[in-house]
Amino acid sequence: MDDHCSSPASYIRLVHRLIEECLLFNMSKEECMEALSKHANIKPIITSTVWKELEKENREFFEAYKRSRAERASETETRQRIHNVVSESNSSPDRV
Amino acid sequence: MLSASSLRISKDEFESQREMEGLGMDVGDHFAEFSEGNLLESFIDFDAFFVGDGDVLPELEMDPEILAEFSAGETMNSSLASLDNQNISDKATNKEEYENKVCSDSGSGSGSGISDSNSGGGGDGEEILKQASNNSKAKKSKASQGKRKVKKVDWTPELHRRFVQAVEQLGVDKAVPSKILEIMGIACLTRHNIASHLQKYRSHRKHLVAREAEAARWRSERRERYGDGGGGKRKVISPWLAPTLGYPQMAPPPIHHFRPLHVWGHPPMDHSFIPIWPNLPHPPSPPPPWPPATTTPPPHLHPSFWHHPKDPNALTPATGTHCFPQPLTATRFGSPPIPAGIPPHAMFKVDSGVSLSTGRPPLDFHPSKESIDAAIEDVLSKPWLPLPLGLKAPALDCVLSELQRQGIPKIPPSSA
Repeated sequence: MDDHCSSPASYIRLVHRLIEECLLFNMSKEECMEALSKHANIKPIITSTVWKELEKENREFFEAYKRSRAERASETETRQRIHNVVSESNSSPDRV
Repeated sequence: MLSASSLRISKDEFESQREMEGLGMDVGDHFAEFSEGNLLESFIDFDAFFVGDGDVLPELEMDPEILAEFSAGETMNSSLASLDNQNISDKATNKEEYENKVCSDSGSGSGSGISDSNSGGGGDGEEILKQASNNSKAKKSKASQGKRKVKKVDWTPELHRRFVQAVEQLGVDKAVPSKILEIMGIACLTRHNIASHLQKYRSHRKHLVAREAEAARWRSERRERYGDGGGGKRKVISPWLAPTLGYPQMAPPPIHHFRPLHVWGHPPMDHSFIPIWPNLPHPPSPPPPWPPATTTPPPHLHPSFWHHPKDPNALTPATGTHCFPQPLTATRFGSPPIPAGIPPHAMFKVDSGVSLSTGRPPLDFHPSKESIDAAIEDVLSKPWLPLPLGLKAPALDCVLSELQRQGIPKIPPSSA
């Protein structure tokens, strides 16, 4: 695992690619920073900076990304709520 | 005993068989009769229409609709007024009127008056049209010449199609009503009818061309913004759609032009990548050419078809389909062809429909550590791999200056 690339350019490119992978995983910036730091030994500040720069260059993408993440969150929440309701009603079957 | 009973049984069977056969034959006969009868009846019906029976069918409503589709509203009143005369299916008792209008009717009657013929297919309509015109030609006598009023032509889809054909043959600018008339060969269309129709057609086409130009402009603008290549062949709005009756609307909805990215472990679903890599032997359509048997790790990392550009193992089975030359990979870093502006919500929509073969769950809000780890490691170990998303890379000096501001003098940092 060689993340000490020779040039800053390639290093940044590496971080860029790693961030994109995280995006594929639907991660947030913080999650990404954590993951990269843990798995690739990349300082969170670097990750964060590159992320921000990417965001600037690809604003629409990131906006949509945020939106969809929010949607997913609310969707999951809703699903959870439904699940709760269903399990509640299941647990008390006498109440028809 | 056995033989006797068996004989009987067999005889019964035989008889029943015969009965069935007989039935079948009967039924078949009936069917044959019916089918023939139906055919004949259909023809007869049409003839009856032409001959005229005296009943006024309520099909008056159809004609104005068809007219309105195509032409401006002002003609409707006049058309309504003359519809009595026009409509063959009216079964107009007035033979004179009928004869007068019969040719335009031959276009309209078979088209609008008898809805079946329209739905039945152009072929039928064509036939009947010819039949009608034959009839009408036979019956058309001095009556048509006697009446001098300007006939209101009912431009049915069939008629219009022939008109358009004629115009295209001549060339839109060169299309002179008299020539059009000749080509169309419908005897009772006057030059005047054609002239006015032509005028409407031309103005409509201009309108459509203007809209198309606007759409093209918009599209190219979008393409500019998001990098060329991705905008390749989106929805191509063909101007030739124009000549149909009704001139369908062709507004280019912005979002439709963006296809979901294929990065979710699924083959790309559209053909927009073809213009980017024209050296692809065949379009990247569904059958995943990526050898699932490939030993190199996670196909899920690069499910796009920039699969393993330098991996000889992977290339071999995939060679037939995706041969990516080295330089292609190199350029990828420079300018991701995929428009970075692709709204990922489209991408995510794809997700829900996509079943990943490999194990990265895109819908998983909490991705497993193992998969992340694997993905990251893979990226680290194979720096030549292209960007999965192809986001526009930030300017190097921007990043560096920003990092310096944050207190990181140089990267890669000497101490991780």
